[in-house]
Amino acid sequence: MDYKFPDQLFPSFYERGPPDKVLNHCAGNWGSYDKLTIQDDSGSRSNWTFTSRHQVKGETWRHTEPVPLPLLSPLNEFLWPTKPPNPLDFMDHMQNFFLDHRHDAFGCMSQILGENFNFTQGTKEKRHKDSISMWRVTRYLDGLSFKKCRLRDRSVPLNRYSALLGDVVHAIPPQLLGSLLYEELAEQGERLLFSEAATGGALEFIPFSHNGDGYLVYPGNQGLNRLKFHRVELQRHRGSHSVLRSSSSDSFSFHLNGPIRQISSASLFNNSCVAVRSDYLCGVWRFSGGGEQPRLLQAVNTTEVATCVTASPHVLGEVLVASESGVVNLWTVGRGMQKVRGEDGNLYFNAESPWRWCDFSAHPRVMVYADRTGAELTDIRVSPVSARSLFSISRSSDCHRGERLVLSRYLRDVHSFHHLVTTQFSSYIVDERFPGVPVLKWDHMMESPPLFCHVLPGSASSGSVVGGAGTTKVVLGSQRSQELVLLQYSGGGATACSSRGPPLALLRPSTSLKHLPVQIPHRLDVATHRLSSSAAGLTCVQRTGGEGVEDECICVLQLTEAGDVFYQILEPQQQQIHIPDVEPQPMPSKPVASSSPSSQLFTENDVIGTTQKERQTFADSDESEDGGQRRRRLKQLKLQVVVNQPDEDEDDDDDDDEDDDPGTQEKDGEQSDSTEKEALCSSMSVVNISEDALVTWKRWLQKLMKKSRKKKKKPRPPGSQLFTADTEGFLRLRRKETREDKHVRSLRRDLRTCMSKRSLLAFSAPTLQPLPQAVDTDTWTDPLSRRLTISWQGEAAWRAWWEEELGLNRAEKEMALRRKRTREKERKRAAGRLELSGSFTSSTTYQAELDSFSDSAGWTSGSQCAWSDTDGLEDTVGGITPVPTTTVSPLKTVEGEYEPQTPSRSHDVSVSQTPSRSHDVSVSQTPNRSRDVSVSQTPSRSHDVSVWQTPNRSRNVSVSQTPSRSRDVSVSQTPNRSCDVSVSQMNDTPAARRASVRPAEGDHTSVLASQVKPLLSHHNVVEDNSGVRSPQSVSQQSVPQRDVRVNLSLDSAVWSGFFQSRPLSQSSRGHVGLSQSSQSSQAKKKKPRMGF
Amino acid sequence: MDDIDRELECLQDSDDDSDISAKGRKKPRLSLGNPMPGETSRETGFHQSTRVCLEHIREAMLHHRWQEAAEYMAFYPQVLEDLDEGSTPKYKEIIWRLSTEILHHHPNSTLEDYNNIYERMKHAGVKHYLMISLEHAFHLLLHGHIEDAKLQFSACGSWRYGNNVAHYQATKLIQAYRSLLDYVTWCDKKHTHSYTVDQDDSVSREMSKYFRHASANLKEIVKYPGVWDPFILSYVEMLEFYEDYDTALKVLNDYAYDNSFPPNPNAHVYLYQYLKRRDASKKRLAKVLKILRALVPSHELMLEYSSLLLQSEKITDVHKALGIVLDMLDFACWRNNLDVWKRLKAVIQQLQCTEENWKTLVLDTMSGRKDWWPVLHFTSFHASKDSVNPELMEVKASLKRVLCPDTLLKYTAEGGTSTEWTLGGKRKH
Repeated sequence: MDYKFPDQLFPSFYERGPPDKVLNHCAGNWGSYDKLTIQDDSGSRSNWTFTSRHQVKGETWRHTEPVPLPLLSPLNEFLWPTKPPNPLDFMDHMQNFFLDHRHDAFGCMSQILGENFNFTQGTKEKRHKDSISMWRVTRYLDGLSFKKCRLRDRSVPLNRYSALLGDVVHAIPPQLLGSLLYEELAEQGERLLFSEAATGGALEFIPFSHNGDGYLVYPGNQGLNRLKFHRVELQRHRGSHSVLRSSSSDSFSFHLNGPIRQISSASLFNNSCVAVRSDYLCGVWRFSGGGEQPRLLQAVNTTEVATCVTASPHVLGEVLVASESGVVNLWTVGRGMQKVRGEDGNLYFNAESPWRWCDFSAHPRVMVYADRTGAELTDIRVSPVSARSLFSISRSSDCHRGERLVLSRYLRDVHSFHHLVTTQFSSYIVDERFPGVPVLKWDHMMESPPLFCHVLPGSASSGSVVGGAGTTKVVLGSQRSQELVLLQYSGGGATACSSRGPPLALLRPSTSLKHLPVQIPHRLDVATHRLSSSAAGLTCVQRTGGEGVEDECICVLQLTEAGDVFYQILEPQQQQIHIPDVEPQPMPSKPVASSSPSSQLFTENDVIGTTQKERQTFADSDESEDGGQRRRRLKQLKLQVVVNQPDEDEDDDDDDDEDDDPGTQEKDGEQSDSTEKEALCSSMSVVNISEDALVTWKRWLQKLMKKSRKKKKKPRPPGSQLFTADTEGFLRLRRKETREDKHVRSLRRDLRTCMSKRSLLAFSAPTLQPLPQAVDTDTWTDPLSRRLTISWQGEAAWRAWWEEELGLNRAEKEMALRRKRTREKERKRAAGRLELSGSFTSSTTYQAELDSFSDSAGWTSGSQCAWSDTDGLEDTVGGITPVPTTTVSPLKTVEGEYEPQTPSRSHDVSVSQTPSRSHDVSVSQTPNRSRDVSVSQTPSRSHDVSVWQTPNRSRNVSVSQTPSRSRDVSVSQTPNRSCDVSVSQMNDTPAARRASVRPAEGDHTSVLASQVKPLLSHHNVVEDNSGVRSPQSVSQQSVPQRDVRVNLSLDSAVWSGFFQSRPLSQSSRGHVGLSQSSQSSQAKKKKPRMGF
Repeated sequence: MDDIDRELECLQDSDDDSDISAKGRKKPRLSLGNPMPGETSRETGFHQSTRVCLEHIREAMLHHRWQEAAEYMAFYPQVLEDLDEGSTPKYKEIIWRLSTEILHHHPNSTLEDYNNIYERMKHAGVKHYLMISLEHAFHLLLHGHIEDAKLQFSACGSWRYGNNVAHYQATKLIQAYRSLLDYVTWCDKKHTHSYTVDQDDSVSREMSKYFRHASANLKEIVKYPGVWDPFILSYVEMLEFYEDYDTALKVLNDYAYDNSFPPNPNAHVYLYQYLKRRDASKKRLAKVLKILRALVPSHELMLEYSSLLLQSEKITDVHKALGIVLDMLDFACWRNNLDVWKRLKAVIQQLQCTEENWKTLVLDTMSGRKDWWPVLHFTSFHASKDSVNPELMEVKASLKRVLCPDTLLKYTAEGGTSTEWTLGGKRKH
């Protein structure tokens, strides 16, 4: 019924002249009805129907997935800059050229001049006699790769040479190269934003039948020069959504001599003709029936850049080719070209554009000739071409200033007289029977001009959902931003065209990563880059419902410049909306309607002024902003969130208000709620991503990563910024090699052991930076310094100092001194005796107990590392030497439960056990500051205990202070056992106790657990010894650490603490905590010092 | 029409607006895309938040997430607090458009909401008063509130602000639509009037009152170049009722033949229908159709035109009829139409009767088509498709011998399944 012309058209003014409207807002023509017509339906009274040109409701189509799916696996790694190059960067590019292709850049002259220069030092005699020695210049040039002061570092000879030769050594004059490069970069940038060569799009679907089976024709490789015919099928699975399947076998490909810009196809009676345009090449393929191999019919080279190719829908084998020269040729395949129209300039005004377009029309011998300014119908039968204006950028088309025609498409099967014309802002339907005035206009709301389009005829079954004939769908696609917009219209036959519903933005590949599981950053970069490459084509597969609405669907395919094809499937919205089972919690006691915040919010306080209640809602919504945010996030997390659910806090606030309404609202609330919810669901169209889609994406991304890893090109290494002296080797120790080897060996062994025990291997903590030298105020001996130092301690101290200085308190002091001396004498005597004996006795008992264990305990080999890291004092460890120092005593008083007497300062860590049953202990301490150090295993089987201690253990006060300071003592205590026992005894934690009862592994655990504390405390104490600090604070700090440790060791089911080759650390948490705390404790220690 | 300077200048303008950020880059010749308000250097926090809000609303609306859009929309009117005088009318229009569209799709919208929006935005600024009033009235009409719409129209009928073209046109449109509603009332009255047996003077008086109201404005608007199909139809109907045929004819003639008007096929159709109603002479009818044919050779009235010409018995007319029908068959929509093929057969038969060298005459007419008509109509594929309609196939087959005697293509049903296929008339077999 295409031959019908509408009885009545919508009224409109008709004006000529250039457009003067300025588009100044982005709301398009949302919200307006445009114009109305009136129709007397039946002739009876008061039965008038009004029809608006823009109708509010269209068909509702919803996505089956929230993301477009990749159809094919990524075939190539395609890297193309996504950002347009800045033309001002041409200097950098020239520099790169000079560096990378120096033979091209300077080849000729360097050959001529080369003889006269000598670049190597001292070989003058070999060369030409008059050659100039350039080695100094060379050296200077070598230094140029660093950033230096250009003014200071100058080479006079170089400057002279550059003045002398600067304009001759270049093979291409830099001025010329620079301007050309600038132009090229500018053009590339422009092309990246908008490349008109791609108009029309290089993706076509040619159906074999109506069930969604056919060839997908697209350029399928990196250079876009391999034409592929790929058989795809739109499959429907019962109970689930449709999917597009590509068959791997049925695909044919042809290699072309240039990138494919546009593919146009036409089908008649099961025969199909595919016209392909490349820049200087056009080809026509044909195939018939389903799945027959396509054959190339003819290919021609064009002298000018071809801008358009269109296959005729009337006569197969006729193709229109437009080129930038303004000539349109009718190419009858097999017979040759016939020029049908040529224009030097643009049609309606000078738009300075060589772009030309052509298409067929309802008459086989009338064609559309278009450029940026408009389109004309050209009758090609008469020799001075007769043309009628079909569309022009003018006021008659209601255009805006600056608007230009971007694409024109004859709608063929959809309506034989209609043409679609798109501009940057709008798209128009033009009826060629009424040329000059578009019968319909939409604002498509796209950010960049639509270069691709596909028009789908409305099908009766989908129309039945809405009532009336189905709507015609126009899918527009833009290039750079990958936008897709679905527009709908109806009419054109007996009734005038009217647009239906607002434009619907479809999904784009570049935004799909949002919906997918999070990727790690560098993969995210690769994927984002890949997905955001410009679109290169658009097509749709439509399946008209054979068995009703359920079967109907539209599949929108999009080709990107990377050669990927993405598809999304739209299905008509079912009337019966299936609401997911996640119901809002039924809260009958709470009013529902009043709490649908937003809807009311909007309708009530639409624009200006708010009443009291509204203000409250406002305030609430402000408060629950977080809630809203969360809700949205939840939405993204695929949780069905129903907006109507009342906020509980809101209820609290509004109790008074709501008490009024709930009675009434409660009853109808539920009903209205359900219907409302349905409606909301339909409008919200929250679709969850399905498992299949996730799997597809996962595979695709994995393959992409594999490809990108394979072909990773390294960018030019950034030149080092600063001149740096080579310091490598300056500070290297001679024994480094061997030690490292040893270290590696031990590590390997440890690892093996750990693996066999299925336990954790611990690693070292990060090295701590040595702190700067503390300010030692004691070295300042002059009275002023002392006074000032003292004054920091407060006024009392300062006064005391003065008093002392002036000798005011002399008598007092003498008395005090005397008292002190006597006291000290007494104490020394008593303490010395007591502690010594105590430590010895205790250690021997431990030894005894330990011995009783030894058999059952199943000792395994392992080395316990030095805890050297704690405190960053590598020294620390006093080996196994029990260190019952006097300094410990203050600790005793503070933390009584810790039994400070523990001789087993077994913290010493560095106890290692050989796998052999013997009691070898090796305590090694490396002199060096790194942690690992202390790990060593005695190679010897003997009973010896080797304790290596660095000689310069500065802090080793503790060791020296031990009454039993000989190594014998440590030996006699026989390593770890003693630790174990002692620890379990001294430590009161339940875990430790339990452990002590149990032999075997349990012991280790407990040991480990308990070791922590003493170790730490010891350390601190040792530190204290140096005289600066109060022990209390230190021990307190150490307490939490200990807890951490204990928990840690308890947690690990099989804790082979003894095998830790490195500082106990691993299970890094504990370790980190430890080192941190030690750091912090150190810091704290320092603070007062600085203060003094 | 070719106001190049202006065009270029405006291109320059839009470019300047769109990429301030791209320094030093050569500007694209084509101004790209929609003017989304971009970030500017003078942007305050307030501007930024409203701009972001607008972006969110737009995004939600484009994806048909009306609920979300409504949530954002609740906050957007804050933008009206912007003190920048220049941009407020723009914001008002945006707010009106966005909120109306959201209301169209929001499940909870009521007519009050609409009225609220329309009224407030109408009075928020004088600039958009007429446009919004018009849309408001449309909304009322579409929802069946004809009386309210009438009130709307009369309320803004006296609006005098603004003197630019858009305002002027809006005023004219409002008047025209108001007259259209008067016409509706007039029709209703006429309808009741015709049922009442007694000729009630008061009713007819009322009717003529409405007619006067309506005709005053309708007469006005049809003077302006444009597409006025509904107005013309109602005006002519009323004029006919009051037997003012001259005016009616003049109105229709002007509408069809005034060169400042767009080439609206309906104008010729209305004139033709009017003349037919008035029993005009065949010559006159043919004249109208002849002009229509020049405009739209594929129009369905061409069937009537050809039959008119056939009736005239003149040989040139038959010849013309042949051309008309062949032209029709060029078009995709008529190719399978049995009536046209039958008409073609009738024309040729008549030619056979009257003309001796009818064959050469037909071939002369066909000469321009001989290289593409066969593939357009007479391939074996066409045959297999037409075989579902044997009558059509019979007519076509008989005509094929006359029209394309020397073609080698087979137009037979059997050949349809074979894969033979010819390229652009390249002859095989």
